[in-house]
Amino acid sequence: MSTIGERERLSSAEAAEDGRIEDDEWTLSDAWQRYGSWVVTVINLTVFFCAWELFARSGAVSPLFLPSASSMFSALWEGLTTSAPPGAVISGSIRDHLLYSLTNLGAGLLIACVLGVPAGLLMGGNKYVERILSPYVWALASLPRIALVPLFILFLGFTEKMQITIIVMSAVFPIIINAWAGVKTTEKSLLAAAKVFGASRRELYIKVVLPYTLPFIIAGIQQGIGRGLVGVVIAEIFGGSRGFGYLINRAADTFNSALMYAVLLLLVIVSLSLIQFTRWLEAYVAPWRRLDTV
Amino acid sequence: MTGNGQGAMIAVQKTKRSSSANQLGGRTRSVVDFGRAKRGGSSPEASTPADASPVIVSEGLTIGYKLHRERKKLTALRDITLSVNRGEFVVLVGPSGCGKTTFINAIAGLVEPWEGKIEVSGKPVTGPGPDRAMVFQDYALMPWRTVESNIRMPFEFQNLGLSKAERDERVRRCLGLVGLTGFERSYPYELSGGMKQRVGIARALVCEPDILLADEPFAAIDAMTREAMQSELERIVAKTRQTVVFITHSIDEAITLADRVVVISFRPGRIKEIVDINLPRPRFDCDLKTLPEYGELHDHIWRLVKDEALQASRGAKR
Repeated sequence: MSTIGERERLSSAEAAEDGRIEDDEWTLSDAWQRYGSWVVTVINLTVFFCAWELFARSGAVSPLFLPSASSMFSALWEGLTTSAPPGAVISGSIRDHLLYSLTNLGAGLLIACVLGVPAGLLMGGNKYVERILSPYVWALASLPRIALVPLFILFLGFTEKMQITIIVMSAVFPIIINAWAGVKTTEKSLLAAAKVFGASRRELYIKVVLPYTLPFIIAGIQQGIGRGLVGVVIAEIFGGSRGFGYLINRAADTFNSALMYAVLLLLVIVSLSLIQFTRWLEAYVAPWRRLDTV
Repeated sequence: MTGNGQGAMIAVQKTKRSSSANQLGGRTRSVVDFGRAKRGGSSPEASTPADASPVIVSEGLTIGYKLHRERKKLTALRDITLSVNRGEFVVLVGPSGCGKTTFINAIAGLVEPWEGKIEVSGKPVTGPGPDRAMVFQDYALMPWRTVESNIRMPFEFQNLGLSKAERDERVRRCLGLVGLTGFERSYPYELSGGMKQRVGIARALVCEPDILLADEPFAAIDAMTREAMQSELERIVAKTRQTVVFITHSIDEAITLADRVVVISFRPGRIKEIVDINLPRPRFDCDLKTLPEYGELHDHIWRLVKDEALQASRGAKR
């Protein structure tokens, strides 16, 4: 708590004005404070991959199950920079499948937002909509999405439509529930203040509820990305001839463990970057929440 | 209900005993009696800065809430009859849950009376209006808006027929009045509690309301800043000459600020007594707490509040 208070005071313009903030000598320990965690992460990962490499080369585990880290990286590099030869066992390189999966994920998330954000806002804002929709939302949100895959395959076949539907079904509920919760938890005193100063019902929603809910919506999208990525892989593993899931499946079928690990690593990278992006977005649109949650 | 009545009786007895035992009691009695005399209609020594015209009139005001889950109604305030004169500083004191906030919300037009009436400037209150503004305990600043934008907010909701230049000028003046010039572009989360509440006060003043309502505005502010804020408020109100209805749990704060202190009893809230505070102004400069009257007023109000507070702290069931 004291650190928050300290930061508040230091960040205030007053402190800068009356000379309480001044240039300080930049020592090695300050640099460590600032960049230490990055250095540790880089060393940590280097050690991890080196150990992996040595372990894999020692021959303790068959390279069929555990490829060397270097062969995984080279498979990843090759797959991202070159396209597969026409007669290859697996059609298309990592690049093509990455693009396909990301396009579907993007389309699915977009649809999930377009459906989920208004639905969540309406549920939070109108008790009749809430009462009518909430049993369905909770039912579908609690149902493991994978159980729905056969149904969608039955309806839509092994198509992109099926895959996108599964992504939407995976991502839409966290978005709905977060937006809904955001509206519901809008601070009463903010609403009272806006009312006292003459806000109409409409202004109350646009100028208080909506900005208050925005970080909740972003948090919902963040969860939606995680769920959506699961949806992508599930849909592609179940049926399809393109994408991450397909590639993992095919790599396993053809005993190409380097390729499989490369795709898994790529999934981690994609997932982490998307989540980091939403974190950054949240910090940008709602800087006050960052301090609240420290 | 019976407990309530007994509490009141004990309080009255204690008051009598102490004032007769106290040689200086004469002063207290006159202060207190003056309050009664004034409500009776004759006020020979009207030394309050207020002129005689009442701006807030509450008659037999009863307000409550529905408890849907328990299929019950909770009466928060019962039969409140009070009129507040223009330019007067009235402080409401009472235990938690006695309906002080409900009363202030009724003046603001946020809740409707069940019975009785509440009038502002001769017209019944039907909803919020630019003639009334409120300062909140938890500041209620929009965290996504800068200081300046928060202060400007009332203009977005209310059309006062001011030009852009006039609005800018008012925002600038209010910022100066609360001493926040230079912080226009700061966000509330970058400010300390005292500064946040300055923003809250500036926002309330920007429409130049007749009536300033304050719901425990300094309750969440540390003791030292609080005293400074009290003197600032006294200074500001002396300048703007607004009518103020102010809620507090602090008897010191009540005496420091008020022309009249209204003591409200525990649930359902009724007016227990109205105490006139005839202390010189500005009060922050004149070591208020060293005056003998101060101690007497404090004792008197404390006796009135004590039993109610005890009852409230025991968590009396609704």
